[in-house]
Amino acid sequence: MSSSEALSRAYAGLRNGCTKVVTLYVGGVHASEEPILIKTLVGSCIAVCVYDPVAQVGGMNHFMLPDADERGTPAEATRFGVHAMDCLIAAVMKAGGDRRRLLAKVFGGAHVLDMPEHEGGVPQQNVAFIRRFLEAEKLPLSANDLGGSSPREVHLFTATGRAFVRRVTNDRVVERLAHRERRTKHRSPRYGEVLLFNQE
Amino acid sequence: MSSTILVVDDSLMVRQMLREALAADGHTVVEAENGRDATHLLRRLQPELIITDINMPEMDGLSLIRWVRDNSHLDSTPILVLSTESGKGVIQRGREAGATGWIVKPFNTDQLRETARCALGLREKVLRRAGRAGE
Repeated sequence: MSSSEALSRAYAGLRNGCTKVVTLYVGGVHASEEPILIKTLVGSCIAVCVYDPVAQVGGMNHFMLPDADERGTPAEATRFGVHAMDCLIAAVMKAGGDRRRLLAKVFGGAHVLDMPEHEGGVPQQNVAFIRRFLEAEKLPLSANDLGGSSPREVHLFTATGRAFVRRVTNDRVVERLAHRERRTKHRSPRYGEVLLFNQE
Repeated sequence: MSSTILVVDDSLMVRQMLREALAADGHTVVEAENGRDATHLLRRLQPELIITDINMPEMDGLSLIRWVRDNSHLDSTPILVLSTESGKGVIQRGREAGATGWIVKPFNTDQLRETARCALGLREKVLRRAGRAGE
């Protein structure tokens, strides 16, 4: 059996029982108490997988920039790091996870296509942000694959916390992804509702 | 007017965002990581406003609101919930427990400052009506 066949079999084995698949796009956050597969494709963006090994629940987000840009058309505020992480941790806790047991796996932050590689660049900002966030929140990093120049397809199995990462080298896919990331970069965040119960 | 505001959230980064936003209006911010730590602080502290998350380890936000409302020295303290929870049921439970308002995360810091100003204004109004202005 070739190594790719062995990998395919191992992957199929892990998928066994996962009937539901959720695909995340930029700004997406999803967690589940059921054994599901969450997948996404990231270039310069970051996908964070958070998992509680005891409760066996997990979730993933997909964010684009560390901080909000208040200009442009409103779109999901979870495209930005702090909000995306806050919502992901809350979603995993709501699914039954205990914050004190959570582990994180982080992927992305690549320089795709013509993206200039410098310290203030989007991929570096994202990588620096997520490292800072995990350290501040005392969230152990159990695996990561960051940087480089290829987009990554990330699959998370919520019941086991196992994550599979595949580097994407197909030029058309890379170009489409880079275009999508550029297009959605400058949009202002859409925030949650505010309610005041007693305004007498 | 400068007030003391207790911020309760299990995320350090969120507490930092709140501290920076509220300090810009001259408020003093005191922080707690969860409801239980907040109750310890509230035995000797009487803040003008409490801002709390809902899903936290040790003691959640709804239990904290009920605890505050059971303590007479905090009866005039408004409580704003700041949570990713947006379901009608949980918001109604928060209101019944004694919350003053509800802000759904992700939140905008300007909007949060404005809501905090409204809640502090409500407190002043209630105290004036009760002849306890300046408390």
